[in-house]
Amino acid sequence: MYWLPGDQVKLLARRLAESYSVYGPRRDEISGEVVFDRLEVPERLDLQAAIPYNPPKHVLFPHYEEILRYLYERDSQKVAIEKIDKVEPKALVGLRACDLNGILCLDRFFLWQEFVDEVYLEHRQKLFLISNTCVRPFPQCFCVCTDSGPAAREGFDLDLTFAGQGYLVQVGSRKGQKLVEELGLQPAGPEAASLREKIVDESVSSFDSFALENKAWVSRATNRLTTGFIKPEVWEYIGNQCFECGACSFVCPTCSCFNVEEVNRVDGQTDRVRTWDSCSFEGYTKMAGDHNPRKPVEDRRNKRFFCKLSYSQSKKYLRPGCVGCGRCARVCPGDIGLPNVVTYIRREITGE
Amino acid sequence: MPYHRGICNFCGTGCGHLLQVENNRVRGVYPLPGHPLSRGRLCVRGWHIHELLQTEERITRPLIREGDRYRAVSYDEAIDFAARRLKNFSGHEVAFLGSPRASNEENYLFGKFARAVMKSNNLSLSSDAGLEESARILLEGCGWPAMTASLSELRQADFIMVVGGDLTKQNPIIASEIHFASRSGAFLVTISPRRTQMARLSQKHLRPNPGTTWLLLEALARALQTEGLVNGNHLGERVENASQYFEYLESLDLKQASELTGVDEKEIVGLARKFYESESAYAFYPVGIQSLDRRSMSALFNLFLMTGKLVRPAGGLCPVTGISNLLGSLDMGVSPAFLPGYLPTDRGDSWKRFEELWQVRLDRWPGKSVGACLQEDQSLRALLVVDHDEEIIRQASRIKELDFVVYFGAYRNAFAGLASVIFPRLNYVEGDGTYTNSERRVQLSQKKVEPPSEIRPLWEILSELAGALGHPWAYKSAEEVMAEISRTVPQYSGLSYDKLRASLGIKWPVDEQNPGGTEFPLAGEPGRRFKFIFGRTREQLKGLSSGFEDRFPFKLVVGRSNYFWHQNSVMKRTFIPKREYNALLLLYPKGFVEISADDARALGLREKQPVRIVSEAAEISLAVRISPDILPGMLYIPYFIEEMVSGFLHRQVSELEKNEEFFLPVRLEKLE
Repeated sequence: MYWLPGDQVKLLARRLAESYSVYGPRRDEISGEVVFDRLEVPERLDLQAAIPYNPPKHVLFPHYEEILRYLYERDSQKVAIEKIDKVEPKALVGLRACDLNGILCLDRFFLWQEFVDEVYLEHRQKLFLISNTCVRPFPQCFCVCTDSGPAAREGFDLDLTFAGQGYLVQVGSRKGQKLVEELGLQPAGPEAASLREKIVDESVSSFDSFALENKAWVSRATNRLTTGFIKPEVWEYIGNQCFECGACSFVCPTCSCFNVEEVNRVDGQTDRVRTWDSCSFEGYTKMAGDHNPRKPVEDRRNKRFFCKLSYSQSKKYLRPGCVGCGRCARVCPGDIGLPNVVTYIRREITGE
Repeated sequence: MPYHRGICNFCGTGCGHLLQVENNRVRGVYPLPGHPLSRGRLCVRGWHIHELLQTEERITRPLIREGDRYRAVSYDEAIDFAARRLKNFSGHEVAFLGSPRASNEENYLFGKFARAVMKSNNLSLSSDAGLEESARILLEGCGWPAMTASLSELRQADFIMVVGGDLTKQNPIIASEIHFASRSGAFLVTISPRRTQMARLSQKHLRPNPGTTWLLLEALARALQTEGLVNGNHLGERVENASQYFEYLESLDLKQASELTGVDEKEIVGLARKFYESESAYAFYPVGIQSLDRRSMSALFNLFLMTGKLVRPAGGLCPVTGISNLLGSLDMGVSPAFLPGYLPTDRGDSWKRFEELWQVRLDRWPGKSVGACLQEDQSLRALLVVDHDEEIIRQASRIKELDFVVYFGAYRNAFAGLASVIFPRLNYVEGDGTYTNSERRVQLSQKKVEPPSEIRPLWEILSELAGALGHPWAYKSAEEVMAEISRTVPQYSGLSYDKLRASLGIKWPVDEQNPGGTEFPLAGEPGRRFKFIFGRTREQLKGLSSGFEDRFPFKLVVGRSNYFWHQNSVMKRTFIPKREYNALLLLYPKGFVEISADDARALGLREKQPVRIVSEAAEISLAVRISPDILPGMLYIPYFIEEMVSGFLHRQVSELEKNEEFFLPVRLEKLE
């Protein structure tokens, strides 16, 4: 492990900006809240900022992205297809462990199944990932219930843990090792590993004092969701509160569903566009011939939580589909973020 | 792709958002955390505004009609052409249709152009009827034109009443705030014939028969009286006509009201008591296209007045606007009834004030709404329109007969096709502008992308037109227009772009006494006077039966759909909201009519069976959708099928314009 003095974080950001577009948490100057964004000025990187309101998903799976362009020549009846090559190398600095795990889930969906998504792959190959241990949890957090924090275990190039005057730096890849050497970081000494362990343990034990917004008894809910024993009334109660806005999917670090549209441009070309989609929409599951296996809103809600927590789905991600970031609870107009849903399921089990 | 702070431009909630901009294009959207009203939430429309903002279906050049075609021309030519034609019309011959989607600055200048340059007082919005009615009632009753409450304290409310419409569809984030308030302990009651989602989220749902909402609200007042829960003396001398109103109420028989509304008397009394006992009570009602009617608004106002709840430092009446700047447009005087700042046009001193401020002579004749001009006024010859993005074009055939139509708009649409000359207009992320949401929050939306080179801001186009017509205007920016607004509109007197840039919106009135805006304007104003609003004599409980029950036994109610909002062409330029709309259209290609399971059984109707709906004036064929949300005797059609709106409803224009509680007496015939 290496040591990064606190005053050298800017140096790290500037160094990364030489070869990458640098993304990280920054504070909005008026609302004061934290957004994970491209940093026009690398110095705006704020590693002490709270967990960002948005996950880093948009960096490698944009809200709206042209994935190819084609032109149909009417006279020759030929189609010219063009790859849209504009993916730039990006460094994601200060990822919270939940969000890093979110990226690993996206990898499972886009890369690790039968079909490899080339567009995503290109984004992914050009990423440099630096995680940042949560030395103290935030009010909305429940990553300890989903085994995805407060510290990262894998998937990073570098991993930072704040320890007083600076950061303990763990190297996770050859790329990371190279950067550490270029920056001339000094080894953090023999105690570093146990110091990090201690910091993480303290963080875990402080969840009861700081992470007060949400509790999610994920393992019981997983069991119940997998066996399908949840009464329809529970889903109806949840469905009645769904405003069908799609926000839960859009803010979820692991939600990967997308829609594909062909957009005709005024110059005659057509762009194939990929945009975020959500299982909360009725049109999402609609099939030809008016069939919709999930027409009522409660069935659509049911599906989402099955996707996040059931055992069969977790086998795909090799972990639960929920990483415990608590964002869905914050953006939901109906107050049916995942922790609340788990609470309703638990209430049904315990009969409280 | 950096995120830029902004304001959602769809409905009158005015949620904060972050727009992701790359290569001068808006590529994504995210809710703005920390926005004081939306608190990091957006609805399905707000989550897809970037799809709309990328459309290439823009108007990009000034166009002049030549026969059936349009010729692209330079700005100079278009201005010259429009000015030359406009010179030929007197004020009475011209009407002005403002846009509730346009900014305060644009609406202010549009009104000034109408009144000061063209000497025309025919100036209105397309969907203003409800809001203007609400403003009139509130002004008469308490001298205050808009929301008397503020939504910041809503979560501490202990009583919330939602009357009419479906806020979960119209203004989802305000509905969400209400839902959160209810979850933290407020008693939430919905009063609407239809079982809306708002109703499903409520502890209590009272379902008056269609056409009797106002009666149920008056019955609540009567119940307060019979239960001795009248707080009549709390305002004492300050209420002009308390004894007359109480006398009027005494003539209402609760039992009869209960029978006519179909709501149990015990329920009425119980709710009245609950309302009376609450510390901070809020009432929400929609204004705009699907507005609450005049009598219900008055009855609601009276309820709050008689219980002393208007002057509390929390709670009040909340008219909810359906389009982003509907309230601001009225603030700016885009109305035949008001000059900017709600100065009534039927008073000479209002005109005098603006003659002095604008340094110009004004013609003081009473103007009319554009709808009224088109309908009644054969002398009308020209029409100027800003961004009319609804597909509904009332009196389209009359508009085609006009000599001259000017359209200022951002997107190609049906209305633009009626114009003689078209000026492209910026969309809301291409320039600066302020927008005023339902709770009087004035918010600055700053420029985020460069407009296509040929598109100019509306203030610049109007200034050039005014100049060509002999009124040199010297505005150099939207900010300068706001500077003038702060001098002429008393409620905006303390506002400036500098102040707005450093805030997430400020609620008017913003003035010397309230530099940071005002939350509860009626509280702590001992000098304010009040008046109950009611008809002189009790109307004979008429309107509750159509008089032709034998021929038209059903009451047809029209509502809003989440995805196809206002039947406007805006949603068609998105992907996901459009898909959701198409999903409904695929199921019901000709639209649908909802009917209760009881009625469907009695008539032997099955799901998706085609039927004909016949009213006195028109008929339409639709598919049946059996719904648990509908009362027996009632039919419901969502407001989203082109044919339904223009072919069927628009023949009922006289009904729509009256702003009475709107239902159509119809019958239903099976189609074989």
